[in-house]
Amino acid sequence: MSKLMIELTINGKKRKVETTPSTRLLDLIRDDLHLTGTKEGCGKGECGACTVIMNGELVTSCLILAPQADGAVITTIEGVGDGENLDPVQEAFIETGAVQCGFCTPGMILAAKKLLEENPHPTEEEIKRGISGNLCRCTGYQKIFDAIKLAANRLSTRDGGRGEKDA
Amino acid sequence: MHQRTVPCQGYFAPQKIEKALEIFSRYREEIKVIAGGTDLLIQYYDRLYEVGTWLDLKNIKELKEIKIHQNQMEIGAMVTHTQLEKSEDIKKYFPILSQAAADIGSPQIRNRGTIGGNIINASPAGDLLAPLMAYDAQFKLLSVQKEALISAEEFFIGPKKTILEPAQLLTGIILPLPSERTFGCWIKIGKRKALIIATITLALVVEMAEDNKTVKDVRTCLGSVAPTPIEVKEVREKMIGKNFNHLDFNQLGQIVEDKISPIDDIRGTREYRKDVAKNIMINALEEIDSAWRSHK
Repeated sequence: MSKLMIELTINGKKRKVETTPSTRLLDLIRDDLHLTGTKEGCGKGECGACTVIMNGELVTSCLILAPQADGAVITTIEGVGDGENLDPVQEAFIETGAVQCGFCTPGMILAAKKLLEENPHPTEEEIKRGISGNLCRCTGYQKIFDAIKLAANRLSTRDGGRGEKDA
Repeated sequence: MHQRTVPCQGYFAPQKIEKALEIFSRYREEIKVIAGGTDLLIQYYDRLYEVGTWLDLKNIKELKEIKIHQNQMEIGAMVTHTQLEKSEDIKKYFPILSQAAADIGSPQIRNRGTIGGNIINASPAGDLLAPLMAYDAQFKLLSVQKEALISAEEFFIGPKKTILEPAQLLTGIILPLPSERTFGCWIKIGKRKALIIATITLALVVEMAEDNKTVKDVRTCLGSVAPTPIEVKEVREKMIGKNFNHLDFNQLGQIVEDKISPIDDIRGTREYRKDVAKNIMINALEEIDSAWRSHK
């Protein structure tokens, strides 16, 4: 199979990668860029474990060919938070116990972040719809809803939600 | 957005339709056209290596536009379900197309999947197909040699089968703008809300005459009840020219039940689908009844 070079911005860094026309973006992220926070669940777009944000949109990276992401700006779970501090959504997931085995968590957090970006005060129904593309098989959804509500409250306070801790 | 086109033997992403058609006619069966990939990449999940060459339509800007000229709307084939769901023009003129798009898959799928892909995939359960038929859609098919306009009804010939010829591209969907007195209802039945293939879908569109009580036109289109999306035309003779107040909703529901011939499959039995078809037809008529009354 022929090879080609693609260029993308991933978690703020420009990367050039050699790939093939039929490599999935998911495999490029995991195997070539070694960003293994993005998981493979079903490989058919139904479970959301491979969710990333591409050009501002929530997508399943198992259903995208690597060359389709040429020129794209991508955020994976490794790009959430600043390396030192967790993102308020991540903190909320830990505090409410919304992480058990953790396999769905990267996709869940990206879906939650995207939801709160578009809709800072979602209702429970809107939360359910926002993460409807992400399956969890062990934590249970209630704690995930609680985490998203907590994050929404934190984010709506002016200091970005670190008020309680820093005080 | 910065968009580059990588020249590569196995992957083409041209910026112009003409160029795409030229590549398509050169490679024909050797090339796979890819839009959102949400159906195609599942079909090729464990045999991606079989695809020699891809023709990606992502860089063709005009295929992502929703345009109104005179009394028609043209929706580009690469318009995503998210765009259909959120477009103010679609919500205004073709509300049930917007609602059907909102019921597809998940946020991730709606952000990638396209109207053109939903049509070309030609699943009997394709969520947009019954609404498109109900709004009298025509599909614009282009090849190097010719341009053709085909009605939704003629386009689908079987499960996953269409009249699309080799090296022909679906570039747009043409919809006549409906009158202000047009009312629609969309109902999708499935085992869960997200990421479900429909057990049955109904798109009912009723146009009232100028007196605002006589039915001028009606289209009753269903998905997942036949090898292709279908219209139950027998409903027309019972409704057109009649006063909406005098319609027998139960009888109309019975006609839908009697005229469809669904199969048993993992999503539901023939009997269940016939039963549900009748009931959702009655529900849709009731919904249109109340929308029409509050509009008067």
